[in-house]
Amino acid sequence: MILRGSDITKPIRETADVCIIGSGCGGGPVAKILAEAGKRVIVVEAGSHVTPEEFVLTEESAFSNLYQQRAGQATEDQAVLVLQGKAVGGSTVINWTTSLRTPDFVLDAWQKRFGVQGISPKEIEPYFERVEKYLNIHAEPDERHNNLNRVILDGAKKLGYRAHANGRNVKDCNALGACGVGCPIGAKQTVDLTYIADAIKSGTTVFANCHADTIKASGKTKRVTGSVIDPVSHKAKFDFSIEAPVVVVAASAIHSPVLLLKSGVANSSGEVGKHLTFHLTTAVLGVFDRPMYPWKGIPQSAMCDEFLNKSGDGGGFWIESVPATAALAGLSMSGFGKRHRAMIRSYPNVAASIVLVKEIDSEGRVIVNSYGRPSISYKQGWKDLQYLKQGLKEAAKIHIAAGANEVYTLHTKETRLTSVEEIDKKLSAASYGTNEIAFYSAHPLGTCRMGEDPRASVVNSHGETHDVKGLFVIDGSITCTSLGVNPQVTLLALAEKHGEWLAENWKSVA
Amino acid sequence: MLFGSGMLVPTGQAWIPTSAGLIPQSAFARELSDEVRRQLKFFSPDEYLILQSAAERIVGPASAGAPSAAEIDVALRADAFLAGADPEIQEQFHLLLTVFNHPVFTFLFDFRFSAFVNMNDDEKDSYIEDWMTSPIAFRRTAFVGLKRLCMSMYYTDARSWPAIGYDGVFAQ
Ligand SMILES: Cc1cc2nc3c(=O)[nH]c(=O)nc-3n(C[C@H](O)[C@H](O)[C@H](O)COP(=O)(O)OP(=O)(O)OC[C@H]3O[C@@H](n4cnc5c(N)ncnc54)[C@H](O)[C@@H]3O)c2cc1C
Ligand code: SF4
Repeated sequence: MILRGSDITKPIRETADVCIIGSGCGGGPVAKILAEAGKRVIVVEAGSHVTPEEFVLTEESAFSNLYQQRAGQATEDQAVLVLQGKAVGGSTVINWTTSLRTPDFVLDAWQKRFGVQGISPKEIEPYFERVEKYLNIHAEPDERHNNLNRVILDGAKKLGYRAHANGRNVKDCNALGACGVGCPIGAKQTVDLTYIADAIKSGTTVFANCHADTIKASGKTKRVTGSVIDPVSHKAKFDFSIEAPVVVVAASAIHSPVLLLKSGVANSSGEVGKHLTFHLTTAVLGVFDRPMYPWKGIPQSAMCDEFLNKSGDGGGFWIESVPATAALAGLSMSGFGKRHRAMIRSYPNVAASIVLVKEIDSEGRVIVNSYGRPSISYKQGWKDLQYLKQGLKEAAKIHIAAGANEVYTLHTKETRLTSVEEIDKKLSAASYGTNEIAFYSAHPLGTCRMGEDPRASVVNSHGETHDVKGLFVIDGSITCTSLGVNPQVTLLALAEKHGEWLAENWKSVA
Repeated sequence: MLFGSGMLVPTGQAWIPTSAGLIPQSAFARELSDEVRRQLKFFSPDEYLILQSAAERIVGPASAGAPSAAEIDVALRADAFLAGADPEIQEQFHLLLTVFNHPVFTFLFDFRFSAFVNMNDDEKDSYIEDWMTSPIAFRRTAFVGLKRLCMSMYYTDARSWPAIGYDGVFAQ
């Protein structure tokens, strides 16, 4: 059963076997596995429950109702806009369906550097297979790529770079292009429509619009308290308190550390909130002499992975397309005023590609601000900056090779590129300081690192905190390093694995 | 929408006077209609006019079928948006608009002797350009905050779409 904030008429006082905070890639699979193992599961989710028929397919409505901070979450210095979902189903409700396994070299590093057990490529393979089957993950046939994905495939091919179709978690997708504002036909296999729906069939209760504030974990029983939020006024209307021997924090890499820090638990290492990675993202906009309609069709169905870990140092970048809806395009294009107006007139002929850097020497941190909310900071390293520059150059070259007449970056000062020579020269000379170029992240990770050394990590190889028995963190915060690929399949597979371990070892944990 | 907290200085550092306190309501705000005043939930009348004036230049003047920021009610939409925003964002925006407009700061940063709202269009554009390209990081940050607010309020409104050839997410 799902209870929405509007359905809740009095303060909540409940007990359960397990309370899961957050219903995205981490919370969903754990809820399903434990409910199917016969446990009484309660999920509290700060966001609303919105069904496919209820989606209002505009950026305005989606930003207000389905995104963290109404799509305004950013680093303290505004340099990186950090996009995350806030709904039953978490960020999967508004994500772009790209479904990729964790690269082997990343899993190897987690084992070698952090001592994480049970995640060798061979050991985690069955979990990937399970996720892929359950969510119907498959690559699109060639004729289904939209113009933006075609630019990547065609441009990369001309330059001799590796590029191909990626898996997507969809069933009967009509290529409506609405993934980022909620799939109106339920084709996208989001966590709410799959894992959470199955968890509910096995007796799980989901309280939507319930924001957890603290976890008290002194004895065997833990108590999660917070507020029921009125979905219209956004004001707290009641409090809630849920007691359970097992609590799973699955509120995402930005919000899970906030909960732990506010509660003063699981941080004897001092590591909570540290090691944030962004998969730092910027974009190029190619202007073509034919319509590209950058908001139409399947948003992400192909990518160029030629440059990931190419030199073997674990870094590099990745190029994908991005659905450029009007507001995203308006605020991403350089400058302001008359020049901006002139540029945005070419919008239908623009193709957008994003460059995502797999960090090796950049890191961020989440702390709690004076209002009890996340304050996010991020420092870019020199090596990653070199990869970012190279990534922009390669993406621009791909656009030129695919037929773009001119290519723009997201530098605050307009940067127009029309030839390969110009690309190399101008992008080497450009500035990349704070707010001199627009950065985004839709893949914040890290902040409650997994590992076997309690001095250097927050949770062990099963997601259980080193400090508190029965308190788990299972979501995007437990990754050990930047992934280099879009994270949902990694996080779902880890959640399947940790959920299974928890069900099998229930007696020793609860 | 599409901007966040931490715009200028860390919350709580009161080295810049806030609009609510030290700066009196100016002559330009007295011109504001009662109807608009009644609708304001977040901005003071002064702040509303500062944002309207900045939005006009940031979005760009009306041209070839593209409506102006005023025609789209960017400032009113921003007011409604900010009224529901997190308190740290609200605090920073009050501060930002004060600093951006006030003659003390236009002089301090740019040796201009006029409040932003009293500059002519060319002066406003070059003043905004100075914020955008400033060597001082917090001025660039403030520009980004203002631009995100204005552009997202303008381009999420369907009235701005025909001029850029956009037909909405679900047009097929
Ligand atoms: C626009 C966008 C596009 C993306 N596209 C892709 C893609 O194509 N492929 C891919 O692999 N990944 C993509 N991602 C990323 C992917 O969706 C996330 O990495 C993944 O969903 C993270 O899982 P999670 O469980 O850590 O957090 P989430 O899925 O974000 O779930 C966390 C949930 O916890 C809730 N919560 C937070 N705080 C509290 C609290 N205090 N109390 C109660 N509940 C709380 C939140 O509301 C949220 O619903 C995209 C993300 C975005 C934003
Ligand atoms: S492309 Fe359209 S139909 Fe397909 S999953 Fe996305 S929103 Fe749904």
